[in-house]
Amino acid sequence: MEERYLALYPFITEASAYVSGLGFSLERLITSRAMDPARSRGVERVLQALKGDIEKPQFLASDDRKVLIELLSYPFSRILVSCIGDNFLIRRYALAEAVSCYKLLHSEPYEFICSIASDFHVDVLFSDHLFDIHFTDYIRLASSMKALEWKLVNRKMQKGHVYISKEELARLLQEAIRDRIQGSLPLDVSEDICQMCAPYISQIQTELQQIKENFGSGDFGAVESSMFPPCMVHAMANVRAGVNLAHSMRFALTSFLLNVGMPVDDIIAMFNVSPDFDLERTRYQIEHISGSSGTSYKPPSCSTMRTYGNCYGADELCSRIKHPLSYYRRKTWFNRHKHEASQQLPFSEKDNE
Amino acid sequence: MNEKTRNFLVNRFQAYYSQAEIHLPPEHISREWGFISFSDSSETFMKRHIAFGSEGEITDYLKGMGPSHSYYSVAYYEYPSAPKMKEKNWQKADLIFDIDSDHLPGKMNSYAEMLENGKKETFKLMEFLLDDFGFAEKDVHIVFSGGRGYHCHITDPSVLHLESPERREIVDYVSAKGIDIERILSTREVSGDAGRESAQMMVFPSGTEGGWRGRINRYFVSFMKDIVAMDKAEEVLMGFKGVGEKTARKIIEVFENEAQVEVLKGGNIDVLSGLNKKVINTLIEEGIKKMSAVVDEPVTADVKRLIRLPGSLHGGSGLKVMSLDINELEKFEPLRDAVVFGDRLVMSKVIKPFAVQMKGKDIEVEQGEQELPEYVAVHLMCRGVAEYG
Repeated sequence: MEERYLALYPFITEASAYVSGLGFSLERLITSRAMDPARSRGVERVLQALKGDIEKPQFLASDDRKVLIELLSYPFSRILVSCIGDNFLIRRYALAEAVSCYKLLHSEPYEFICSIASDFHVDVLFSDHLFDIHFTDYIRLASSMKALEWKLVNRKMQKGHVYISKEELARLLQEAIRDRIQGSLPLDVSEDICQMCAPYISQIQTELQQIKENFGSGDFGAVESSMFPPCMVHAMANVRAGVNLAHSMRFALTSFLLNVGMPVDDIIAMFNVSPDFDLERTRYQIEHISGSSGTSYKPPSCSTMRTYGNCYGADELCSRIKHPLSYYRRKTWFNRHKHEASQQLPFSEKDNE
Repeated sequence: MNEKTRNFLVNRFQAYYSQAEIHLPPEHISREWGFISFSDSSETFMKRHIAFGSEGEITDYLKGMGPSHSYYSVAYYEYPSAPKMKEKNWQKADLIFDIDSDHLPGKMNSYAEMLENGKKETFKLMEFLLDDFGFAEKDVHIVFSGGRGYHCHITDPSVLHLESPERREIVDYVSAKGIDIERILSTREVSGDAGRESAQMMVFPSGTEGGWRGRINRYFVSFMKDIVAMDKAEEVLMGFKGVGEKTARKIIEVFENEAQVEVLKGGNIDVLSGLNKKVINTLIEEGIKKMSAVVDEPVTADVKRLIRLPGSLHGGSGLKVMSLDINELEKFEPLRDAVVFGDRLVMSKVIKPFAVQMKGKDIEVEQGEQELPEYVAVHLMCRGVAEYG
């Protein structure tokens, strides 16, 4: 494959073989002045991923240097993401890399798409304007897609072969690319290497923090999310970032939100980004917790939360309450009375949760 | 079950295993094995996490123990006998379908009828597996479970590495779960001829298309053909909502004309414009229900499940768990062909009156002590309605 293709699709096996064949040491990539543009582009990749899309360069025939920089920026991005080691960042980054390739793949000739597919061990035949793939490859790639149209039952299948369009194949490959990148991260990077990358890392971390904070404080209409205890804020940020919650935390969050008055539909919408989201099941579970079967549930107490490792980021107020719902009640009360009441604040009422 | 009965059954099962032909699964040394014995405790428990190094060890175990139920894992493990699932190191698993006649819709009056329904369901499943999924007959193994249904084991290498959600997709396919009828039967705006408003044209799949789409066309065309072939075709058609005498006659004309039928098979159903879209939708929804196969989803999705060993005996019925070729299935009569015990008379105490069809005979047994042919006695004892002696 031509080098410029390797630079545009740097996650394929041939690209990583090519890069190791160049014989650059990790240290040179991180410290050499000549590699400065590759490092800048590496940081840019991650920042672009956080903000939305990774923009891919266009190469001219004479752009050898540009190609090399683009190619080397990829391993550098991966080192940065690995040093930070944040699940949300990893997901976001893998998705952005995959989406940017999906956009490119659209306009590539069919032989090229087939060769990318074969890098993912998917054999594709092209005939009569359609791509023919085996159903096992199809379900492997499409099982993470939730829309009805991707279900095998709605596909044209004959003797084990599924027929899909170029656009659809590109979309499926996006999933495969995301899986590969996400699954390979974080890399096992030494402490020393991360130290050397510190200036680049801090730029990304600032941005990451910003985005996470925005996630934590969503608009819930009548529900005041700024009054939520830190454990729930953290869980919500995770849900929205697509991180799968432990069962116990999922229950705690759902019952908490129901108890503070969030409508079932809003909670379902929030879980809609979970990687294993299943609408029917989610609705059933949430309605069950809300009391559809006669018993309505309260979230677990702080001590139970601690037992299951779900207590996170306890603050000053946490030390005075024993239940996440008390946190919310006190804080909203406090807030309401802030302006009216004097400084003598009634933190004396007893918790009876 | 008392001790005497238990001893009798263990003895009969051991005798069976001393001459039985067991169908071992591929790579049997990589499987986990599990057995339930005719035990005296009220709670049944399974001895599992067992591994065998050779075929001889397996047959020796069966001969020696005469277990009431014998299972092996659909999974292939690196360490099949490791006591914790995580330590076994899962490598791959056969693809399994379970058709449990108990779960099939409709009322069933007898055990025989129930088994017959399970067989019909198995045929529907086979059509999907061979036509749509393209599995070779040699890779699809049908097994009568010895109890209420049929299993189907697929050992084609292409499916062994599929994970649970992917296996669920296959179940959804054969059971038509999530099928999007709206997409299959959509309407398209077509611009009308001069002076006419634009019209709606029904988009219909063609009979040669793959998957459910082609199946729906073929079902619809043959369903309508059957109606038209009836003596009272006109009346039947007029029973559909919105179909009058004129439309009914027109439909009959269409189906009597081979050229028109070919057009329908090609996916153009404009000639049936008199048929209301809702009616077509309803007919097709019914057709999908009839064509889909009811299989037990959790069984297929479970890549570590234990499944009955073909050739072993089912301790709840005394019947043989039997491997079948697809061409054997049609003629297979479980209550005749899976009966392994003979006619020697055995003294039995029947606890309550019982009726069953076995070896082609209607057998009705009264309560009380009596001599019964061994195959009946074993069946009754296994089902807990008789004791030995």
